[in-house]
Amino acid sequence: MDTCTTFPVKLLICVTSAVAVLAALLLVAPSGKAIPAFSRKYGTSCTTCHSNYPELNDFGEAFKKNGFKFPKDDETFVKQDPVLLGSKAQKEAFPGAVYPGEIPGTVPIAFRYSGTFAVNASQPSGVNQTNSYVPRTDLFEPNTFTIISAGSFGSNLSFWIDDDISTGGSGANGGLGDGYLKYNDLGRFFHLPTNSLNVRFGQFELDLPFTQARSIYLSDYDVYDQINVAGAAGTTSNPFVLGAPQRAIEFGGYPNNGNFTWSVAITNGANDGPALRGNKDVYLRASYKFNLERDPESRHAIQAAGPTGPRDHTSIRVGGFYYYGRNVQNIGATPPPYPGLGSFSEPFYRSGGDLRFKYRKLEVFALGMVGHDNNHTVATGEGGTQTLFKAPAVTYTGGFVGTNYWFYPWLIGTMRYDFVNSPTDFFNGMSKDRTRNRFSPGFQILVRANIKIVGEYSYTWQLPITDVRGNTTFYRPNTFLTGIDYVF
Amino acid sequence: MCSVRTVVRGAAFAGAILFAAGASLAGDIKGKVSVQGLKSAENIAVYIDAIPDKKFDAPVAKPVMDQSKMTFTPHVMVVQAGTTVEFLNSDPVGHNVYWPSISGNKKLSHNLGTWPKGERKPFQFNDPGVVSLLCNVHPEMNGYIVVSPTPYFAVTDKSGNYEIKNAPPGKYTLKTWSEDGKVTMQAVEVAAGAVTVDLVVKK
Repeated sequence: MDTCTTFPVKLLICVTSAVAVLAALLLVAPSGKAIPAFSRKYGTSCTTCHSNYPELNDFGEAFKKNGFKFPKDDETFVKQDPVLLGSKAQKEAFPGAVYPGEIPGTVPIAFRYSGTFAVNASQPSGVNQTNSYVPRTDLFEPNTFTIISAGSFGSNLSFWIDDDISTGGSGANGGLGDGYLKYNDLGRFFHLPTNSLNVRFGQFELDLPFTQARSIYLSDYDVYDQINVAGAAGTTSNPFVLGAPQRAIEFGGYPNNGNFTWSVAITNGANDGPALRGNKDVYLRASYKFNLERDPESRHAIQAAGPTGPRDHTSIRVGGFYYYGRNVQNIGATPPPYPGLGSFSEPFYRSGGDLRFKYRKLEVFALGMVGHDNNHTVATGEGGTQTLFKAPAVTYTGGFVGTNYWFYPWLIGTMRYDFVNSPTDFFNGMSKDRTRNRFSPGFQILVRANIKIVGEYSYTWQLPITDVRGNTTFYRPNTFLTGIDYVF
Repeated sequence: MCSVRTVVRGAAFAGAILFAAGASLAGDIKGKVSVQGLKSAENIAVYIDAIPDKKFDAPVAKPVMDQSKMTFTPHVMVVQAGTTVEFLNSDPVGHNVYWPSISGNKKLSHNLGTWPKGERKPFQFNDPGVVSLLCNVHPEMNGYIVVSPTPYFAVTDKSGNYEIKNAPPGKYTLKTWSEDGKVTMQAVEVAAGAVTVDLVVKK
């Protein structure tokens, strides 16, 4: 981050960093997860919960919200009986005995492999020499192998662990993605409606409007990966990434038949790393799904009764989210960036709204958000005295709009438009225009319920590049990614 | 002058005599199906193939094909052509029933849609053949209805035993259908009493 502090001397470094970030974004493979362990447990196909894994259909959503259990009569569907850790009658003996629980009858482990190859736009000749060389094609570079475990420990406890055993490919983040324990329906102790209060803790993706960890796309949502760094414009250097897993404790629920969802999370604000400051952040999320099914019976069922089989409800979901934290600067580093100052606080927030519409084979979604970090400048006086001044905030706006269409149950067309408008990034030479935007048409072919061929083309924004002669030129590092993804 | 009651009694008596006579002429076909290359001899349909110039009335009974615990129950059902089968959903999850063809004839494909737990949806099968039942949200689910052209059929038990009752005397073709095996056809002559026909179904 600090490499961008002296403009324009370190422009080249900034641009190189931008290219690296962009390459990482484009080459990233989804760390999304489908759970064949559940297929084995229930003896059912992936399509029970996924119309296009790892995206959940209405049944999969209900399954997840119910603590990885069938929404009704779960026990009758389980093909692998759990091992009881104490008889159920031991509940009466509590607290004189350990409260009885259970573990899955077989180890609930699943694996996922994804490997894509890239066809990259040719770089201007000067770029080849001044930046890290990007070959036109790159075969199966971001190979990612992920181990996933999830299930339930009895009636109210559920767990999830996924870990990317990444082999050099940067597709996944590498290491632990989500790892949490969740107590479902805590609200029953307070006589609240079913599932209106749950609690989970550990490391996990926040209750985002559209999951990135379990996204069907090959590339991340750009705005989710936006970090606010003032560079030459000030002191702000906030590592927080909305799309990254966070270490947190979260309270949330989904009353009203799951149509209303809410969550409040207290987080470190340091993504999946250790806490960098003492204070904690807070994340709020609420959404409401308007079920548009005309038939009341169908509307209240887990899935709608279509003329040719169950399907997702026709619905519109609207929601909003707000993240607030107080970033603390000038701590942790040795020596500190501003040795003449103590630590100082820079409050920040991320806020936005989202919309999702589902109708038969069509899904349309959109998200818009703003990011805002308080910012300062540091003036150095005679004798090295440093003084802190308020500076214009580091802000950005951004979002994405997308659509998916199921031509057949096994052939899905995708289209996404991402945009991020960051005046500060523009000022720091990250892009030719103030708005970085990207179109990503793609396809997904389910060869089997657990195997798919994916493809995604990214027509992306122009990067400024300084060539060997010192001239600044621009080029679009467009990329076509395609590959295979399977789980077992 | 005869009373109505007397006439009814007489008709019932005559009917009973005729039924007894017919029954005495009918025979049973029983035997055992053994398999080669198949996992099990269970759930193999055995039936008398179409009899030329012979038509049968559609049965009144409506057998039930259940969707329970995400399986079709029974796995294999044999019905006479013209039978109305009731499809029941016993699960609290949404199911669907469709078949892409009947014995490969895609014009006979059909989709029954979706219905909630506890409700039934009837369908009359008029075309002989094999109906592969599927659920479009649970592709692991699969059941079969074998539509027999005659009312003389059976399904093998776990040991491969079958028994077709009350077949009229005559010469027929006995036919099998199994999920993974080839069709076996064998001539059989039915007379009064029981005739034993053992069959072999190969993969």
